[in-house]
Amino acid sequence: MLEIVEILGLPFLACVLMAVVLGYFGIHVLKREVIFVDISLAQIAAVASILAHIIFKSHNDSLTVYILAVGFIVFISAFYALVRKKITQISLEAIIGVTYAVAAATALFLVGVAPGGHIHVQHMLAGTLLWINASEIIWITIVFSAICLCVFLCRKPLHAVTQDYQEKLEIGLYKTLWWDFIFYVLLGTVIISAVKIAGIVVVFAYLIIPAAISFLFARQTTSQLFIIWVAAILASIGGLLFSYYLDFSVAPSIAALLGVELILAAIAKKMFINTS
Amino acid sequence: MNGYEILKFFSVQIVLIAVVLILHTYIGLHIIRRTLIFSDLVLDQFAAFGAMVGVALGIEYGTATSYLPALIAVLFGALLLGDKLCGGGTYVKKTLAGSMLWVTWPLVVVTAVTYIVLIIFHFLFRDKFISLVERPGTNPNERLWDFLLFTTQGIITVLIVPIAGVLLAYAFLMIPATIAALFTRRWLLAVFVGWLIGFLACVSGVCASYFLNLPYGPTLVLSLGICFVFAVLIRCFRRQPA
Repeated sequence: MLEIVEILGLPFLACVLMAVVLGYFGIHVLKREVIFVDISLAQIAAVASILAHIIFKSHNDSLTVYILAVGFIVFISAFYALVRKKITQISLEAIIGVTYAVAAATALFLVGVAPGGHIHVQHMLAGTLLWINASEIIWITIVFSAICLCVFLCRKPLHAVTQDYQEKLEIGLYKTLWWDFIFYVLLGTVIISAVKIAGIVVVFAYLIIPAAISFLFARQTTSQLFIIWVAAILASIGGLLFSYYLDFSVAPSIAALLGVELILAAIAKKMFINTS
Repeated sequence: MNGYEILKFFSVQIVLIAVVLILHTYIGLHIIRRTLIFSDLVLDQFAAFGAMVGVALGIEYGTATSYLPALIAVLFGALLLGDKLCGGGTYVKKTLAGSMLWVTWPLVVVTAVTYIVLIIFHFLFRDKFISLVERPGTNPNERLWDFLLFTTQGIITVLIVPIAGVLLAYAFLMIPATIAALFTRRWLLAVFVGWLIGFLACVSGVCASYFLNLPYGPTLVLSLGICFVFAVLIRCFRRQPA
């Protein structure tokens, strides 16, 4: 028992932190119908990390990598905010989907021209959650706390821009574009930290799946948050134990369990809850 | 490589790209106009997973036989199995990047014939398929045509992913169609514009990859990506009709 706590204690703490913050952002992402955005932002952050490695020979945990990744996120956030306002012919999700493909190709291109690059591809997909150390936990706690504070202070305009974007644009809400931009920057900053420890797949799973489960059963934000956190933490515990006893990678195990939870929730909703 | 081999290399690639892009642009327009952006990546990922199952079963990657496991891939989770495969990471990268560089004429012929049959089928029943987007709810057999559309998408995904990889397959489907959809709502014109831009971008990508010794699949996607960025910027800063 002590051995399990020793090995899985820190990864579990990281999972809880991700569940709390990503879960909240998941509500916004689902309401905005931009499901791809996190994968796209994560992929862009990964490109920044590979570029920093190639150009500056920076280590994965260095400040250079982080600054470059934030820079890329700020740039792409401005692009998304602009596109959402200016392009009406197709959905923003289509633009985000293509951005993801181009960013993923850029990552593969860079690892193709830089030696030993395939390790980055593997890390981008699976992460290194099991090997997280105390200093990394402290770092993401600080970053996530700062983000939570910003989200709390800006919750009203962020909620308004998520909920009624077209309406706000039509009545000329000053700074609609600005708040959209702020949302993507905050989400992107969370994703940079989360992807570094857990990989793209599990970050996507934490962001989308618990929020999707909560949308099946609740409409109030507080109830949704409660369901999200319970679902994410249960999957984290299950995934960590599954990987420990059956010798699978941690991140895909958690992602797979979250998927199972969603299927069970959908069945439960269909069987036991009258939707009429 | 002598002159004949270079000609052979480019002709195989260009013929394959030219045929593949027609149907991918058309299906891509359906996907974009119905906002089903995820559907292709899901299918791509399953097809990639199927190819990995094939490798685990000892079937050579990228051969006609390797299509079969892709069809039954929907039953499992790709990453969990990839984790257990010997050298799974290499195959994860391979399914992302593809191996279109090593494509052969027999594979091109099989792929081209299937695509041409599907193109003819979609051309004959174009009204039924287009009504799914333009006039939803008016077609009495909507579910059947929906099913046929996704079956087509599934078939082309299973065919193209082992050759081109997840990313290039996704890019073939999404990028030319996205560019075309930004500028026109007319289907025939959109397919033509998407195909033309996609073809020119891909041929530039193949040339850049060959002459500058760059990774094949990512170079093609980036070439398409550059066209996409220009198209979005033109659309953003061009005056909208009143």
